[in-house]
Amino acid sequence: MRPSAASADAGLYVHVPFCLTRCGYCDFNAYAGLSHLGPAYADALRREARLHAGEWAGVRFVSIYLGGGTPTTLAPEAIAALIEAFRGHFDVAPGAEVTCEANPDTVDRAYLERLRAAGITRLSMGVQSFDPAVLASLERIHSADSARRAFGDARASGFDDVNLDFIYGARGETLASWRGTLDEAVAIEPDHLSCYALTVEPGTPLRHKVASGRIPAPDPDLQADLYEAACERLAAGGYEHYEVSNWAQPGHECLHNLGYWEGRPYLGLGAGAHSFHHGRRWWNVRLPQRYLDQLGAGRLPIEGEERPDPAEAELERVFLSVRLARGVPESWVPADVARAYLSGGLARRRAGRFALTDRGMLLANDLVLALEARDC
Amino acid sequence: MTDPARIRNFAIISHIDHGKSTLADRFLDLTHAVPERQMREQFLDRMDLERERGITIKAQAVRLRYELDGTEYALNLIDTPGHVDFTYEVSRALAACEGAVLLVDAAQGIEAQTLANHHLAEQAGLAIVPVVNKIDLPQADVPEAVRELAELTGQAEEAILRVSAKTGEGVPDLLAALIERVPPPTGDADGPPRALIFDSAYDAYRGVVAYVRVVDGQLSPRGRILMMATRLESETEEVGVFAPDPFPLQALGVGEVGYVVTGVKDVRQAKVGDTITLAARKASQPLPGYREPKPMVWSGLYPVEGDDFAPLRDALDKLRLSDAAFVYEPESSRALGFGFRCGFLGLLHMDIVRERLEREFDLSLIATAPNVAFRVVSAGEVREVHNPSEMPPPGTYERVEEPYVVATIVTPSEHLGAVLDLCQARRGSLEEMRYLAPERVEIRYLLPLAEIIFDFFDQLKSRTRGYASLDYEHAGHQEADLVRVDILLHAESVDAFSSVVHREKAAAYGRRMVERLRELIPRQLFDVAIQAAIGTRIVARETVRAKRKDVLAKCYGGDVTRKRKLLEKQKAGKKRMRRVGKVDVPQEAFIAALRVDRGPGQ
Repeated sequence: MRPSAASADAGLYVHVPFCLTRCGYCDFNAYAGLSHLGPAYADALRREARLHAGEWAGVRFVSIYLGGGTPTTLAPEAIAALIEAFRGHFDVAPGAEVTCEANPDTVDRAYLERLRAAGITRLSMGVQSFDPAVLASLERIHSADSARRAFGDARASGFDDVNLDFIYGARGETLASWRGTLDEAVAIEPDHLSCYALTVEPGTPLRHKVASGRIPAPDPDLQADLYEAACERLAAGGYEHYEVSNWAQPGHECLHNLGYWEGRPYLGLGAGAHSFHHGRRWWNVRLPQRYLDQLGAGRLPIEGEERPDPAEAELERVFLSVRLARGVPESWVPADVARAYLSGGLARRRAGRFALTDRGMLLANDLVLALEARDC
Repeated sequence: MTDPARIRNFAIISHIDHGKSTLADRFLDLTHAVPERQMREQFLDRMDLERERGITIKAQAVRLRYELDGTEYALNLIDTPGHVDFTYEVSRALAACEGAVLLVDAAQGIEAQTLANHHLAEQAGLAIVPVVNKIDLPQADVPEAVRELAELTGQAEEAILRVSAKTGEGVPDLLAALIERVPPPTGDADGPPRALIFDSAYDAYRGVVAYVRVVDGQLSPRGRILMMATRLESETEEVGVFAPDPFPLQALGVGEVGYVVTGVKDVRQAKVGDTITLAARKASQPLPGYREPKPMVWSGLYPVEGDDFAPLRDALDKLRLSDAAFVYEPESSRALGFGFRCGFLGLLHMDIVRERLEREFDLSLIATAPNVAFRVVSAGEVREVHNPSEMPPPGTYERVEEPYVVATIVTPSEHLGAVLDLCQARRGSLEEMRYLAPERVEIRYLLPLAEIIFDFFDQLKSRTRGYASLDYEHAGHQEADLVRVDILLHAESVDAFSSVVHREKAAAYGRRMVERLRELIPRQLFDVAIQAAIGTRIVARETVRAKRKDVLAKCYGGDVTRKRKLLEKQKAGKKRMRRVGKVDVPQEAFIAALRVDRGPGQ
């Protein structure tokens, strides 16, 4: 049984910035063609953990999350050594949730078994779609078949906590093709699903194509239709919609990600990773080589930090917590704002809390602004 | 004082861009009025705004000294505004002259403003010196322009001067012709003084400076003067001429053109067209032609930021000191809050006032759609309505009258059909048509003013590939079948969008506004109906569908700072919205929906 998290419990995020190829929509800190830095990078992560150990002494970590990039570009031995080192430097709770992201094409049965043995308890696979046309339009290198195979391998390797990531609303996606993807997803029975509306992020090749008119921007109304189809299909499959883009079988919510929305502390290791503790936010240098250089010189690779003022902290608290299906205390929501959302079927009241419905979650920003407007 | 026999008072009149300001520059060169290093283009257009727009807002008068055959003459050049909004000011400037240079671009020939200004000059009884300008242009057709000018003025072709204001060619001959052909001023040097105010300016330190033409007697500094129409007395502080910088004199005598520092602090007390006399030696009759300035176009001005109401009021109070033609009264709008209903001479005047307010007083303003002033007649009483929301409901009055103009349009004859169609569509009636040349036609149309203050000029230009020109003069009021169109947002009428339009055009107006607003109003949590209504009848409807998606798809640890900043930006945008009933409307929507196309002279 996993521990439940108290508000002071922390998460440990570990960023692995290597990918086999870059996808056009992705704005994460990730680089193709640098995988050869893997061993040195894993070394640096251990060194960084050691530098933070003192400050984080006495903080209980209830989750570890290896994200990217593609963490599975690292050898399983390297991952095992990392987990061991983290357990050595930090107070990692017994039974902590330890997630590793995986790209279906970078893992096979043998790899996954060794990952499991390394102490990874939860696998998050970037499937994105089961429709070959949509996968091509997302510039994903794997096929629907390899995703299915990788999922089977994960189960066979003993992973009983598996998430599948999907992206909806890419060019070429229709309500019918998305429903097909959802049906297939539910059929193979993952424990958790994340479904993200394709977002055109600044600085991505996708943004460039949209800005130059080569491809149309995603249609928000179609994305809303696709979102509603997901809500409907996944509810029928027994999944709980617990956050804007996340669904889980009961007991399989991602403890680590919940930490972000609940405002719990987290320590980020690796290039470009962000941390949050005692009201302070800071972030590491983004370039892998600079990250290696800093740690090589025995310094923390911190690039910047900020301390949100009370108003900013309040805004963060509001916009993070309204994302959750459990909602916010009713007292946060003035009567007239509440009335507008309740009467429109966008929110409901439950046990002293005010929570967005499926439809309401898709308008979470609007609620945040309505709540914020009250403060001034 | 200068002997009247050696004074010549004249104006340059022309169509826009026919080279009036450049010719004035050459006059200044030839008479060495401005040291070379201070000379710059369009020297007489003083305000920055004028220089940028390339037009002349304020008439200016400058004294030029020029020697001909051993005699030195004082040539007073009175510059006239070049825009139809300021026709009355032009007529007063012409009343201060004995002659006018009628300037025509050799490549363009006679245009609408040439005709209108010539008409004004003839009415004023001026000696007209016809001049073809821009003879150096490769595309100039000098013989044709000469022929047209000869026909228009009834003068022999030999009498038409040919110049290039740009190169200076022919300009000395023009100065000589002015001295020969324009008669010297005459007046009663010993009678009670009478001076015509043909313009005025406001100086922040010295108050109102009146530009005057002395007709009888003389004006001197430290005299107690009387404005005959406003009956205001004040003490003259200084008199003088512009040469072109102010040059104080002991007195201004018969026929002289110059300035009077009046000692008054508000231009309303020294109105264009009024007569200055002496309090102690009062003239029995004022000079003819005085008229109260009459605003023709009205619009509401509102501060974008509600906090700016008091600064806007202060700015208007200051601006009125230098602009006698501009009037305003406070009003309030449910959609826009507190503001002012302002009256202007025309659309250009409105633009100028607004730009001055924004630029000189650092205000950001929303202007409601301009409208003309209507006359509502009921039970024998006539009430002027300046604001569409004051328009009484149908059935409560006998009739409504709207202002009319006579428009003069000159167009190449190949586009005649398109121009006639346009005028007909704008409820016009043809008064007169005549060929200036086989390929150019002059048309005179009687049109409702309301039909030409919006996009008429743009339409005219686009239908004639830019070749047609337009001028107009006011022609009284006529009964009209007008109705008020209201725009409703989510069933709430938005007073700022109401407009009074002709019944036949009401539905089209409503549709246009509703379509425009559909593009401008952001999606809300609910469907927003945008409707246009005449009374209770809905004539157009569009819906802004409820928004369904406004959320960040992903938000994890690294995103918090960035996403918070994104939300802070959205929050700032929301703060700038105005709430109409339940609907949030961005300022930009008000500004864009109320934006009008520009009139002539732009």
